[in-house]
Amino acid sequence: MGRDDADALVIEKALRDLPATTRRAFLRQAALLGVATAAPVLIRRPVLVTAAPGPRRGGTVRVTGHHEISSLSPDDDGPSVHRTIITQIHNALLEVNEHFVLEKVLAENYVVSRDGLTYTFTLRRGVRFHDGREFTAEDVKYTYEFYGNPANGTVKAPLYTGIDRITIPDKYTVVVRLKEPNAAFLRRVATQFIVPAHYHSRVGERAYKGAPIGTGAFRLKEWRPAEYTVVEAFDQHFRGRPHIDQFREDIVPEASVRAIALRTGQADSAVWPLLAEDNLRFAADPNYTVFKTASLAVNHFPLNNDHPVLSDKRVRQAMMYAVDRQRLIDDVFKGTAVLATSNLAPSLQPWYNPNVKQYPYDPARARALLEEAGWRLGPGGVRTKDGRRASFTCVTITGDRARRPEAEVVQQDLAAVGIEMRLVERPVATILAQLPKGEMDASLFNWTYGGTGGEPDASDTLRSDAARNFSRFKNPRVDELLAAGLRATTTSQRRRIYHEIQAIVAEEVPFLFIMYWDWYNIFSKRIKGLPTTALQGDTALYRLAYRWWIE
Amino acid sequence: MQRYLVSRVLQGLLVIFLVSVGTFAMMHLIPGDPISLMIGEAHITQEQIDLIRARWGLDRPLHEQYLRWIGNMARGDFGESVVRSGVPVRTMIAEAASVTVTLNLVAFALSVALALPAGIVAAVRRYSLFDYAIMVSTTVGVALPNFWVGLMLIVVFSLVLRWLPPFGLPGWQGYVLPVAVIVSSQLALLARLMRSSVLDALGEDFVRTARAKGLPERRVVLKHAVRNALLPIVTVIGYRLAFILSGTIVVETVFALPGLGQLFIESVNRVDYQVVQAIVLLLSVLVVLGNLATDLVYGVIDPRIRIR
Repeated sequence: MGRDDADALVIEKALRDLPATTRRAFLRQAALLGVATAAPVLIRRPVLVTAAPGPRRGGTVRVTGHHEISSLSPDDDGPSVHRTIITQIHNALLEVNEHFVLEKVLAENYVVSRDGLTYTFTLRRGVRFHDGREFTAEDVKYTYEFYGNPANGTVKAPLYTGIDRITIPDKYTVVVRLKEPNAAFLRRVATQFIVPAHYHSRVGERAYKGAPIGTGAFRLKEWRPAEYTVVEAFDQHFRGRPHIDQFREDIVPEASVRAIALRTGQADSAVWPLLAEDNLRFAADPNYTVFKTASLAVNHFPLNNDHPVLSDKRVRQAMMYAVDRQRLIDDVFKGTAVLATSNLAPSLQPWYNPNVKQYPYDPARARALLEEAGWRLGPGGVRTKDGRRASFTCVTITGDRARRPEAEVVQQDLAAVGIEMRLVERPVATILAQLPKGEMDASLFNWTYGGTGGEPDASDTLRSDAARNFSRFKNPRVDELLAAGLRATTTSQRRRIYHEIQAIVAEEVPFLFIMYWDWYNIFSKRIKGLPTTALQGDTALYRLAYRWWIE
Repeated sequence: MQRYLVSRVLQGLLVIFLVSVGTFAMMHLIPGDPISLMIGEAHITQEQIDLIRARWGLDRPLHEQYLRWIGNMARGDFGESVVRSGVPVRTMIAEAASVTVTLNLVAFALSVALALPAGIVAAVRRYSLFDYAIMVSTTVGVALPNFWVGLMLIVVFSLVLRWLPPFGLPGWQGYVLPVAVIVSSQLALLARLMRSSVLDALGEDFVRTARAKGLPERRVVLKHAVRNALLPIVTVIGYRLAFILSGTIVVETVFALPGLGQLFIESVNRVDYQVVQAIVLLLSVLVVLGNLATDLVYGVIDPRIRIR
């Protein structure tokens, strides 16, 4: 990072941390009087600001998504294509920014009690919903209670189970009392988008999915799920009206057509990644601003740890040695990925543990481990033990053009050490349902084992009884650590815990951790006001549309 | 004629019933359900998954679910999508169908309008330059996959020339390239069929008789040969009518058109029962109606069939 970049970052941060009103005033003054007069009050080094012309107002930013937007409710904000729009319409008390930093948005401040059980949020005043009603503590209480109630059939209900009660001593204060300490509370729960109590309770969740109202910088203009969704600038937004008039997401399933649209100016950005070769081409083109961040989901082969062949740790370790992962990255993904060392991505700086057992490509070592485990070479080059062949079936996702070649290369690598991996295809819904039940041997897809929103907890995938424990991994020590990690209160305590989990995963190999894909977010140069750097891309970048302008 | 009609209708109803049972069984025997997809990477417990399933009645016995569904369908209630919840399936299908029907009707009308004269001329001037040109270009049209043709048209007309939008329906311009792709593949089929059909007819005795009577060649071809050559064409047209709703999945995906094909594929992928079942049932009704209509048109064109 050059000096100029560093300066810009300082200013970026300075602006971000200012209260909204001051920031607006600053920008207005900067525009009216020239920056020289306004800037010294706020920033020591105003050099860079003078270089930039003021933000222009107007225009439509167009982005493309790859599948239909079936809902605009905060309950369905999982898919990037949904969240790109939902984040424009709504705000949360706290939001995780592109550097994994928690930003205060609807909360002006918060205090955590010493026992870690009580969170007191002071709300920002004068915030309005799109229908003009004021945002108050009542809306926070309603949102958490509605989505936290399992009887409402919401997907997110389990998030809120740790809440004991929510009280609102006054209009601008929310007190959340937990049943037990939960270190992930701020990043997982306080970051949930707030819906207006008066409106949501009247229309109900089903209608809300297509007609949401929030406090966001943009309000819904038109929702055509399979075609496009448009949101327009909200004049009374608490951070000031956004510079652009409209933000639009077009649905374009075919990746090469999304790339062409970006090339012809029909689109300003692609929410869902393009093909690797297109990414590289745009990255080399000065007409585009490109963010390359590490994906948080690990590209991995979940393995049924109860399977007669795969239940032996030595077999799983041998498979790690047998696969030439760097070649996979270079040949199949054109170098756009980094090697995985365990369950957490290297971009999660405070939590990532590089000092774990390593698996360089070493087929000789793989063979030795298999011999040690009692697997002797048998007919057809496939090893056998007690009359059982070293064979299993890997189920890839139907029509998955990106990962199928990867599975085929791994199949060859494993065959070279005497393990037979058969390949079949099934729809993704089938795989997700059957794998945790042990009805499949193995699969191949990308999934997070902790890391979403900068939170390292992986209770939903690594705990013995987790609904999404795809590998049927059962390790009492990991269960213990996962529980301790949520109870711990200091970062250093937590870091130790998650470092140990990564070490155990690297040693036990519950699944073959292959790589973390590079995540490319490409923007047309005409979009200004983008951050200079980012640790996480994806919707953390589109969330910033309220600051963009078009040149 | 009446008995013939009644038996055809009854056969059609039986087909529709079997299709409904088959689709329902297939959809519900696929392991996995829309709920497991909806939740994605959200933190969820098995209890919550079960609760959501119960909410959609997915925990009831299969035959009970089937009877309720088919009962609702008969009353015109297509149910609600699990994935796009709150939106009636009927609305989803109607919106998507309007795009697909427009696209295919235009393409089909254009194909017929171009293919019939081209086929006739190619047959009459057999082995002429025109005949060869038609045969070669239609062979290429059939051989090239729609997917590739679509992408190439986008590259030429959107990326290089910048005349037309690469995707979507901003206006009538959005229809130009997709229609061109469909026409290119249908044209070939119809033109070749028309050519060989006219050639056959031209070799028949009644054509020789007509010529011997001294009729002008124009009348021989149009009145005698072409009219008889139309039968197989009508069969194909009737059969293609059902595809007007379903046959363009690839084209819709490439050009990002929110049509029925795309809705169907997305719904199958996310196991959205109600939507898939409704679309399949609708298509089976259309196929049955298309066949019925073809049979009736046969009767009009060829009176001999009416008597049988």
